[in-house]
Amino acid sequence: MRRRVVITGMGAITPLGHSVPALFASQLAGRTAVGPITHFDARSFPTTFASEVRAFDLGAFVPDPRRFDAHGVNTRFALAAAQQALTEAGLLDPNTGDRARMGVYLGSGEGKENFEVMTTATAAAMEPGAATTNVRAATGFMFRHLNGEYEEYQEMYVPSGELATEFVLEGPFASCQTACAASSQAIGEAAEMVRTGEADVMLAGGSHSMITPLGISGFNLLTALSQRNESPQTASRPFDLTRDGFVIGEGAGLIVLEELESAKARGANILAELTGYGSTADAYRMTDPDPQGKGAIRAMADALRDARLNPADIGYINAHGTSTKANDAAETKGIKAVFGDHAYKVPISSSKSMLGHLIAAAGVVELIITITGLRAGAVPPTINLETPDPECDLDYVPKTARDVRFQHALSNSFGFGGQNVALVVSAFRG
Amino acid sequence: MVTSPRRLVLTGFGVLSPIGSTADAFWDALVAGTSGVRTLTLTDCAELPSWIGGEVQGFAPRTLIEKSYRKTLNAMGRTVELGVIGTQLAMQNAGLAKGTVNPQRIGVEFASLMGSTDLNDFAEAAKIASPDGKTVNYEAWGRDGLSKITPLWMLRHLPNMPACHGTILFDMQGPSNTQIPGDPAGLIALAEAARVIRRDAADVMVVGASEGRISPITVCRYNMYMEMSRRNDDPAGAVRPFDRTRDGTVTAEGAAVFTLEALDHARARGATVLAEVVGYASGVDRGCKGPGLARVIRGALAAAGITPADVDHVNAHGTGTTTGDAFEARGIAEVFGRDTPVFAPLSRFGNLGAASALIELACTVLALKYGAVPGTLNHTDPDPACPVAVHTGAPRPVAKPYAVKVSYTTMGQCAAVVVRRWE
Repeated sequence: MRRRVVITGMGAITPLGHSVPALFASQLAGRTAVGPITHFDARSFPTTFASEVRAFDLGAFVPDPRRFDAHGVNTRFALAAAQQALTEAGLLDPNTGDRARMGVYLGSGEGKENFEVMTTATAAAMEPGAATTNVRAATGFMFRHLNGEYEEYQEMYVPSGELATEFVLEGPFASCQTACAASSQAIGEAAEMVRTGEADVMLAGGSHSMITPLGISGFNLLTALSQRNESPQTASRPFDLTRDGFVIGEGAGLIVLEELESAKARGANILAELTGYGSTADAYRMTDPDPQGKGAIRAMADALRDARLNPADIGYINAHGTSTKANDAAETKGIKAVFGDHAYKVPISSSKSMLGHLIAAAGVVELIITITGLRAGAVPPTINLETPDPECDLDYVPKTARDVRFQHALSNSFGFGGQNVALVVSAFRG
Repeated sequence: MVTSPRRLVLTGFGVLSPIGSTADAFWDALVAGTSGVRTLTLTDCAELPSWIGGEVQGFAPRTLIEKSYRKTLNAMGRTVELGVIGTQLAMQNAGLAKGTVNPQRIGVEFASLMGSTDLNDFAEAAKIASPDGKTVNYEAWGRDGLSKITPLWMLRHLPNMPACHGTILFDMQGPSNTQIPGDPAGLIALAEAARVIRRDAADVMVVGASEGRISPITVCRYNMYMEMSRRNDDPAGAVRPFDRTRDGTVTAEGAAVFTLEALDHARARGATVLAEVVGYASGVDRGCKGPGLARVIRGALAAAGITPADVDHVNAHGTGTTTGDAFEARGIAEVFGRDTPVFAPLSRFGNLGAASALIELACTVLALKYGAVPGTLNHTDPDPACPVAVHTGAPRPVAKPYAVKVSYTTMGQCAAVVVRRWE
């Protein structure tokens, strides 16, 4: 008999609110957080808008916020989301439980590079008329102008390390970066660590921001972002015929995964059960999903098999739904291949229509929305879905939220580079 | 604690390193006591305090990459190139040509970090945005600068790209993940790959790591916040693990890639086994005090079902940093005392970061295979603050069947893996 894994706490910092209730209320109301980029001057970039976290105050979540002044927002968002999740789970007090049996698995991105110093260093070390820089001089310039403390905190092990340090989670750790699949993969693999008995509790999820000059530049160069600059709030339009790319967001989500008997023994409030996980690779292309959804199909089918469920048992699908041409068509094909006739009956929605794409943090925040919907008997809409795409002909819950009672739900996350993850969550029954 | 009928073995190995870029050359250099630490050439670091490190000599991805994939090299930064070629070498060594395993039953676990951009990737854009080299005009960058940068720029540096290219090149459709928690990342990847095979989600996992971090930004950053050796005039003597005169580490690049395979699968196809993976554990030692690391090592021994007396040697991270070595030695000593020899292979080639744990593990895997443990370089004046018995000098015979590999980050994230000699 394998160990069962339940969810006993959730927390989120998102463009649509700095708590799970605020996030879910915004989702049900169909509100969007997309607007002009304010983190830097992006007015001349091909894309000038994003879904930003506003008015974030770390001091509301940790006792010593100044300690994290030089950290990246990935660490700062993660700390706040973790504090919420551990508080809800009743595990915030470090004297609670065996902390060596509690670990961290974070899907997180790179820290933020110091764009201004890199750019001025490179330019200052160029001879007039040269196309390349003098590396010796540029490196020396950076050494004199960068802030060492800030740079150290941008290391990729720091966000997960700070969670373990701040909240005294001394058990197993991991941290992955599989682009847009990262936090879902973190949750699936963390659940496996609980199933195998390596840990009893895993704080799992993701944190990310790429709303930086180099992040927006990189995605713009790949022409992956929507360029609907005249109408940012309608730019994220998953499954709509006129979609033209994704809208970048930022934020963090963390959930507490706990072994069932451990949760019962301490009388924890069980929010849902994590019943299924599937993980595959497309082995197709660097940037494009397999057009037939081959890897996505196997991830969904594996997650259902892992949950010991049939397709018809699934009452809601939270789609990856990025609003790119390729993803939404391939995902729709994949859902049809796995669910057959049921594909046309099951409500499907894309949280990204309102939230934007939180990249490494997308999967966990969408799973949190799914679990909240499972408990509330409601599913958020896909907003901006106005012009049907003949290739996307399923029920995407257009425009307005819907009351739906369901016992089991599937959440998809597909990463740039071909990593596909599907998670199944179920209403908890003894 | 983790019990499963599925035994796990390492069957293939590929390496690109400062002391050799074939498995044989790598082993020969280990036996000979060669150092791969030299003056850095990939980046001119003359204006930095430390300008020595380990570089892969004569790395020629264009001649090494599968012909059909050569044009994709323009989408690969150095970290990605090293990882992809390393994967090719491991698959060749394992006898796993594309199509010899059901694609759905083979996956990949890589360890890598964000590869820092080469400054010249955007030199022209930088000049446009900052004609005076003092301030940045974002408007000019967005309007005129962006078009001077290759469209594939970001793909050259994303951490998951070595794994991604590996899946495409070898049609690996099983789970694919990339671990990023610093120096122990390779051991975390190995543990996760073991978990994947044990839950029967794959029969074979490529477990690899690569770092191409001798780039201007990276070496500059490390010089700011890592303790880097200033022994620029004596590169080979610079990294002095657990030695009283140690003054820091040096950075290095390379790749180490294994194939991890279910024993039943390896046997069925007649594969040569390098070593068995029998236990692993990870955990956090807050404040890098020592007992947390000891707890992790004991966890790995318990998972393997062995005691410290069964262990031939401990393969330490041994970076040559003042506080790092003392911390690591305290943790190891708490479990092993001075009874078990400690081997710190990083003294030979420098710190490969996310690729460090697997290339260091490789030294032990080869030691078990050949029955001899190479010595640690530059440990001549034992530091009382590091109460472990460091193995130095000529290779010593392997006397016991098990070895333990340890790694950690400066935030106290520790991992340990136990491997067993294959007989």
